[in-house]
Order: sequence, then structure tokens, then C-alpha cells
Amino acid sequence: MANFDEIKEMLDLMDERGLEEFELEREGFRVKLRKRSHAMPSSKSEVVVEKSVADGSGEALAPSEVSVDDGLVKVKSPIVGTFYRSPEPESDPFIEVGSRVKKGEVLCIIEAMKLMNEIDADLAGEIVKIFVENGQAVEYGEVLFAIKPA
Amino acid sequence: MFKKILIANRGEIALRVLYACRELGISSVAVHSEADENALHVRFADETICIGPARPLESYLNVPAIIAAAEVTGADAIHPGYGFLSESGYLGEAAEACGITFIGPPSSVLRLIGNKTEARRVMKQAGLAVLPGTAEPPETLALALKAARKLGYPLILKATAGGGGRGMRIVRQPEELENCWKTAKQEAAVAFGDGSIYLEKYIEAPRHIEFQILADHHGHVVHLGERECSIQRRHQKLVEECPSTVLTERQRRKLGRLVTSAAASVGYRNAGTFEFLMDDQGQFFFLEANARLQVEHPVTEMVTGVDIVKEQICIAAGQRLSFQQKDVNWRGHALECRINAECPETFRPNPGVVRVFNIPGGPGIRLDTAVHADCTIPPYYDSLVAKVIAHGIDRAEAVSRMQRTLGMTVIEGIKTTVPVHLKILADPEFQNGELSTAFMDRFTVV
Repeated sequence: MANFDEIKEMLDLMDERGLEEFELEREGFRVKLRKRSHAMPSSKSEVVVEKSVADGSGEALAPSEVSVDDGLVKVKSPIVGTFYRSPEPESDPFIEVGSRVKKGEVLCIIEAMKLMNEIDADLAGEIVKIFVENGQAVEYGEVLFAIKPA
Repeated sequence: MFKKILIANRGEIALRVLYACRELGISSVAVHSEADENALHVRFADETICIGPARPLESYLNVPAIIAAAEVTGADAIHPGYGFLSESGYLGEAAEACGITFIGPPSSVLRLIGNKTEARRVMKQAGLAVLPGTAEPPETLALALKAARKLGYPLILKATAGGGGRGMRIVRQPEELENCWKTAKQEAAVAFGDGSIYLEKYIEAPRHIEFQILADHHGHVVHLGERECSIQRRHQKLVEECPSTVLTERQRRKLGRLVTSAAASVGYRNAGTFEFLMDDQGQFFFLEANARLQVEHPVTEMVTGVDIVKEQICIAAGQRLSFQQKDVNWRGHALECRINAECPETFRPNPGVVRVFNIPGGPGIRLDTAVHADCTIPPYYDSLVAKVIAHGIDRAEAVSRMQRTLGMTVIEGIKTTVPVHLKILADPEFQNGELSTAFMDRFTVV
């Protein structure tokens, strides 16, 4: 069992390292700490990738913006639509937390006006967090994933 | 009736539509650009969707994003406001294809009315006098010169696909035509994506008089009388009023009848405005029709008591007009001043952070604005800060109410055109109702 001091230490560690989630398992007990995620991701530096208006032709789309925060790159939606984790309802998701992705690899689909738009990775790295749920409506600029660059 | 309306606009008109939604108990969706995240209508809408970055082309003019937003929120109707996509056949058609109601005329009517030469042709057929002009936009300079010789001078070059004063040039002498032709074409191509220009006879110092109509889906068309919008600077209206000081009761009835039957002849539905120029002989010439809600609709609302935006929503939902022509009454006189975030001397845009914003109320005053203290006026959109509307038992009272309201207005942090309006209101010609589109020439320094 973790005592109060140990839990406080874990919380401090999360703050120090800018972690959103922390999970520890040992000797038959598990503790999971998760920070309340904010709608507006704060970022110290931002790299804006200018992309023309979504043509909805089903081609792969680069994310509208990638923002860098504590070493993690946030992938934001370039369009309004419905977020799907897999190519089809019955298939496996494109990626999971922990997946290693290559540049250009498809991360998810955002459906808009009956067209499936593939969103691909702008960089190679590891998926550290998925911010949205399967089937969730997303707006322009909504944060979808956090990637730790390779 | 609709369950949920998506408001495809921003600023004061998005708020205006939101008022109607709330009063009718309809859920609202505000779509906005990243620059408008803290806008008033976004704060008060039931749902909000960011549709793009600040640039209008990627946000408020982005049809796929707006349709996608309507889909994900399950909106069953879209109100386009004015400007932006309000006269876009593309948005109308896309919405129709997705089973979403576009609150406005059918897209076929939008396309017809939006083409200025087509609109003139159709209105002429319906019995409205039109200004002599080219039936087809001349494709070459040589053809334009030929048409100009036939029409005579002065004439005006206008964009077939345009409005708002862009792609327009007045030509007084034949020697000026070539240059004006070239610059007007270029301006039109940039502003509207279509460089085609038509020629029209130009009336010196006309009065701008427009008629408001409402048409339901059951064949009933009514008019709500006229507005006079002669106080313009570079074709941008500054002060509008209802009724006009020069129209007689008889003229109003006659023109009203012509306008409603012209609207019916093209299968018009929802709200619309027919604009005319009146020459110094009292003759009226059809100028163009605006197939949407107009900025200056409040003056008509104050005088007739009709809520035009609510009527738009009810009409689009398939309801019959709840009143007939004989039920329309005009009570008193209303003026509207469009206050812009512009330097009052140069009219150059002056966006920024508003520190103090106090426009008084009191009897007969209506304020349509989305601006408040500590808000930021972004540089990406038009510079309208507020519409101040004054109603009185007669024109004199409306003028004096407007004077005391603007005289007690305090706006700090940005420059506004309030001083210009005070000058206009104090002008003896204005007070006597001696108006024309040349009125502002005396005020313009630059």
C-alpha cells in the first residue's frame, strides 16, 4: 500500500515532468493518478503547419497545427468532424497508446460530410496519449494525440 | 419548428440570431474562428464549434467546415446572417443536399438574384423600371466602349457577382473608361472571384430607397415598407432610416405592390430587400435585390413591430405568415447609425482592445452590438462595432434621441466613427431630410 507521502511524491513527479497520467503497480496494488485535462492545451512554442482548407476528398490530411510542450508534440484536428480510431467499425484501431508511428502513418479518421479523412502523423514517435473518444465530435484545432518524438 | 439552429456568422448579427433562437426556445450552435473564441454569441450559444483559423476563407466562408459542424451537432437548420455565405448558392445547396434547412431563399433564387445582370433582366420583366444598362456584361474593352457610347455618360461600372461597393467605378468622361474598366475588373476578380463587369447609367446624387419583403412557402408575400439609406461613404451605408422622408403613402403602396409581385414572380421565399435609386424627378429605378437579411433591418422592426429574424425562422420552418399586408402599420420614425472601429477623420480601420464601452439606453433606443468592455476587436473582419437605433414619434424626435445617445456614448481604447455621426445629425440638410448619396462628399476630408 502506498502511504500519503508516497502519493504526494508521485504527484510532485507528475508536475515536474508535465505528466498527465501516472500509474504504478506493485505487490498486488495499483495506483493510477490522472490530471484533469484542460480544453486549451498550453504550449510554450508552437509550430504552425499551414494547410489549405480541407478538401474532404478522403486524402490523408496533415494536422492543422502541432504544438510542442515539454517535449511532447500535440496533434490537432485540421477539420470539423467525427473522430474514429479505426478504418472500419469492426477493425482494430490504427494506433494505441504506446504505438510507435512513422512519419506519414495514418493515426485516425475524421469523418465530415460522409467523407473519411485520414489524419496522418507529421513526425515519427510514440503515441503517449489519446485525448478523444471514438465517435466523438471534434472541432478545428481540437487536440487529438500527444506524440513523443523519436 | 426547428430543434437546433446553427448560426453561420459572427459579431452582432450572430448575437441577433441568437436572440431569436432563445425567444423561440430553439437550441443554438455557434461556429466560430479561433479569433472569436471569446465572442459574446459563442459564450451564450448552447453548443460551440471552432471551424477554423481567423482567416474568413478558412472559417466563416468555409462551407465544408460549416456543414460538418451542422452534422456533428445535429443542427436541422442554418441561419447565415448577412455577408459571408448568406447569399451563397453553394452553402444553400450543400445544406439542402444534407437535409439541413438553409434559412433564406432557395439556392436557385439565390443564384438568380446574386447575378446582377440576371436580376435586372428578371425584374424588368416583372414590371420594375431598371436603370438603362448592358443586358450582358461586355467581355472586351472594345464592347464596353461601344456600350458606353450607346448609354451615354455619366455611367457606372459594376461587378456582376458583387456588392458592397467593390468592383465599382463611376465614369464621367469617355477618356476615363479604359482605366476604370481595367481596375474594376481586377477588383471584382479579387473580391468575388469573378471579374465580369456590367455598365449602367449613373444618376448624380440619387436617393437610395429599399423595400423589405417577407415571403412564406405558401405563396404569401408582404412588404414592410421602405428604408432610406442615402447617407453612404464609398457605397458603405452609415445612417439608415425608416420611413423615407420623400415617399408618399401612394408611392409606398404602388412600389410595395410592384416589389411583392416581382418577388412572387421569381418564386422568392423568406426575407429579402429590393434596392432602388430615386432621381431628382421622383422616378424609381431598380438597382439590385439582396436575398438575405440586411444590416439595417432594425429600423424596419422598430417602426412596424415585426421581428424579421423570427419571421425568417418561422417561414423556413414551413409556417404561414401570421399577418397580411393590411395588418402592417408604420408607427413613428427610426434611425440607425452604424458605429465602426475607424478613425473618424481618415476612416482607416482601428481594431484593438476596447477599454470602456458605454452606450446609454433610455426611451426609444435599441442597441445591436457584440462589443463590450475588455473585448478585443480582431483585425480580420469588418469594423462594425455597434448599431445604435433610435425611434421616435416622428423624425425630429428620433434625431434628437440619437443625438443625445451618441453624445453620451463613451468608448475608449479604439477610435470610432461616433464623431462623424454627430456631425451628420447636426447638419441642417440632414435635419431637413435633404438626403442623397452625394451627402457624405461634403464630410470627406480624405
